[in-house]
Amino acid sequence: MPPLLNLFAARTAVPALRVSAAAPRVSLSAAASKSHSALSQRRWNSSGSDGKKESEEAQRAATSMPHVSEEAAEVSRIMDKEKRCDGVPSTPELQQGTMVSEILSRDKEAAKHAPKVFQDQIKKAQSGSRSFSTSARRGQLEEQKPSGGDANADASDAAQAAMVQSMIAQVTEQAHAAQHELAPGLKFPAPETLPRTENYRSRYEPLLEQFTKMMMRDGKLGIAEKNMNFILDHLRSSPPPNLNPRRPLLPGGPPAPQLPLNPVKYLTLIIDSVAPIIKNKPMKGFTGGGASVPIPVPLAERQRRRAAIKWILDASDKRRDTKFAQRVANELVAVAEGRSGVWDRRDLVYKVGIQGRALVGAKPRTRSRI
Amino acid sequence: MVSPFCWGCLTPLRQTSRTILPSPSTAVSRGPAFHTSAALQFMGRPSQGGKKGSTVLKFRQPAVAAMKKKKKFVEKARPPPVGERKAIRKRIVLSNPNALEVEGLQELSEETMVDSRLRGTALALPVPMLDQLRAVQAFKPKQGWSIFRRPCTVLRRETLELGRFFDNVTGDVERRGAVIKKIVGGARKSGKSVHLLQAMAMGFIKKWVVFTIPEAQELVSATSSYAPLSEENPNLYVQNEATAALLSRTVAANKDVLSGLRVSQNHPTVPAAKPGMTLEDLAKTGAQDQASAWAVFQALWKELTATGPAPGLEKHYTPRPPILVTVDGLGHWMTESQYRNAQFKLIHAHDLVFVRHFLSLLKPGQDQPSLPNGGALLYATSTTNNPPYVYTLDVALKQVAARDAGVEPSSPQFPQPEPYSKTDPRVFEVLESPKSKHAQEGRLQHQILGGVTHDEARGFMEYFARSGLLQETISDGWVSEKWTLAGGGVIGELERIGKRLRVAA
Repeated sequence: MPPLLNLFAARTAVPALRVSAAAPRVSLSAAASKSHSALSQRRWNSSGSDGKKESEEAQRAATSMPHVSEEAAEVSRIMDKEKRCDGVPSTPELQQGTMVSEILSRDKEAAKHAPKVFQDQIKKAQSGSRSFSTSARRGQLEEQKPSGGDANADASDAAQAAMVQSMIAQVTEQAHAAQHELAPGLKFPAPETLPRTENYRSRYEPLLEQFTKMMMRDGKLGIAEKNMNFILDHLRSSPPPNLNPRRPLLPGGPPAPQLPLNPVKYLTLIIDSVAPIIKNKPMKGFTGGGASVPIPVPLAERQRRRAAIKWILDASDKRRDTKFAQRVANELVAVAEGRSGVWDRRDLVYKVGIQGRALVGAKPRTRSRI
Repeated sequence: MVSPFCWGCLTPLRQTSRTILPSPSTAVSRGPAFHTSAALQFMGRPSQGGKKGSTVLKFRQPAVAAMKKKKKFVEKARPPPVGERKAIRKRIVLSNPNALEVEGLQELSEETMVDSRLRGTALALPVPMLDQLRAVQAFKPKQGWSIFRRPCTVLRRETLELGRFFDNVTGDVERRGAVIKKIVGGARKSGKSVHLLQAMAMGFIKKWVVFTIPEAQELVSATSSYAPLSEENPNLYVQNEATAALLSRTVAANKDVLSGLRVSQNHPTVPAAKPGMTLEDLAKTGAQDQASAWAVFQALWKELTATGPAPGLEKHYTPRPPILVTVDGLGHWMTESQYRNAQFKLIHAHDLVFVRHFLSLLKPGQDQPSLPNGGALLYATSTTNNPPYVYTLDVALKQVAARDAGVEPSSPQFPQPEPYSKTDPRVFEVLESPKSKHAQEGRLQHQILGGVTHDEARGFMEYFARSGLLQETISDGWVSEKWTLAGGGVIGELERIGKRLRVAA
């Protein structure tokens, strides 16, 4: 047997409370029966007195209607029970449950133990007071102004200042309380915003993830991650880099001797330092004759890093170390110390970019083919 | 799904369709109706008659266009020299000069290894002992020693228990000569091998003789030489190379202890064993001469397990120290080895005398305990490196635990293998260890290493933080979170978490 008070009914119960418990309830079926009776009366019986009596009777029936659930049971008995082969009663009450408000209104003992939210709402509905004000505050202030005469000007000013003070104090107190008080429904203070890496989908640093996936071959991410672990451990345990003043790393990072203690920062610093800020895109139609000219195009952070990682991986292929991860790690240290050819590669990109920068923003003279 | 059409609706269609369809002759000219690709090929194929417009096939010319062959990838760089990759793989780095030196770090010593107040703190392994531990191959390549300033281990509950046992056997008169026999099990990364390492370190501290078999698999993987033991025992096999390696490990690690002991028994089978020579020299002869390695090992074992001198050799005798034997990866010894006999059948691991010797120690001794001067047998299983079928070992270990708990083998609670399962009776036989007659000799136990406690986990994480590797504020809540993430304090997983860096806040 389904529970008498099911969730669907409970959801609708609270709005029902909010509307008004005191409002006369005319149930749908009652209204239907009323109109139906009126209609039948109009058709078959044209005498006015009869109709009046009939409507009075209908009204009386509507006011002294049986309880909703009783009525529902009645309707269902008529509509449903005879039809069903097994004869199991299936009322709307049993299917949809009863309004909690109705149970509470007829059962005082239950109303006493009802949740506080319900009790408050019932009280509010009885008192008839709103939780908000509908009167305009500006009007009050204007009224108060003329009441303060010339003699009482100072006093009224002081009173106003005190009032403003108290208002401000109240607002700040409220804000303060809102900070410390728990939001409704919370047992413990809400957690602070979690760092990005706390979500398991983004648990690695963006750069680490990008680098690892660029090292990946044949879709073997596990092997790439193992290599990345090796690289990080190498950065962690290799001697601190001797920085080359001609190839400085980005400012703002920790000093060189502290770099190995945080290999992720170390790696990020290396990549970001050598990353190019532009890319030279060959475009046709600027010089005529179909020749393409490299035009510098700015890169986003991720694109810059991608270029740098690609260069580093390319350069590491030329190394002679036994292990792939070892080659990459050595190349990274070489970049940090300014020994790597990756720096020259970036210089070349910048040089070409400077040559082509006059054409940035210019429109090609010929229409490009679609 | 049921079709909306019934048979009656479709019958008139079927009757008329015959007249609508083209005649069979026209259908043949299009090629078979159910092959599209084959038909195309059929249509496009040049005929042998050499009609107008079609090409004639030359002799042996393939009718099908040749597929483009993929270019073979040619590796330009020379491969690295032989053995270099393996050397890199097996390299053990024990120090990271970049890591911070932990202030107030205590070393493992006779006092600290039994101090329960230090439970949960990381204790450094003494620097002079590192050579000994390296000699017995106590460190494994993937244990993550390389990121710390110096190797340290956490003093957990099991370690303290072991430390107290070592302390008692050496110090306490009543407990002198006690033997524990444990098969160390537990989940992956739960610290089984490091537990053995801690035992070895304690053995070195207490001046025990330490025998280790760092990889049990190497004895059965048919990578070293073997030969029948003798004419009388053609079904037993001796591994002289592996025995010589064991002897050289033992000599290198236990030089101080062995050089203080002298040969005081008669060894008719070992002519090199002269009365009065040190055991160090005796072991060295076996390590250098592989042919006599097994005989020398037996002589050395006889010397170390002697409780008194042979008649006439009293002046050479000094009391023998306890012995620690550790084996890592026991599962490989519980099945057939990769060696073959003369009939090309696989030799069972228990037919190798080396393996047989160390497994026989698990049984209680007859006249005297299997280690008469006391000691410990710690044989660890592995979860990641096992032979394909270890079901018998699993059941046998359950039986060991049940026997230790006092369940009679005849009772219905005693674990039995599944009916119709493939089991190895020799494994049951080897691990069936009844209670010893000797009070000092403990029963074979199955010790399962679980996760560390919250306090121990906190000590471990603090060690990471104080080494400068972990840059977080360590609070109880944080540790508790990581403890849970590490599967309930599995220490290897905790180490992974401690290593993982979080930079962006």
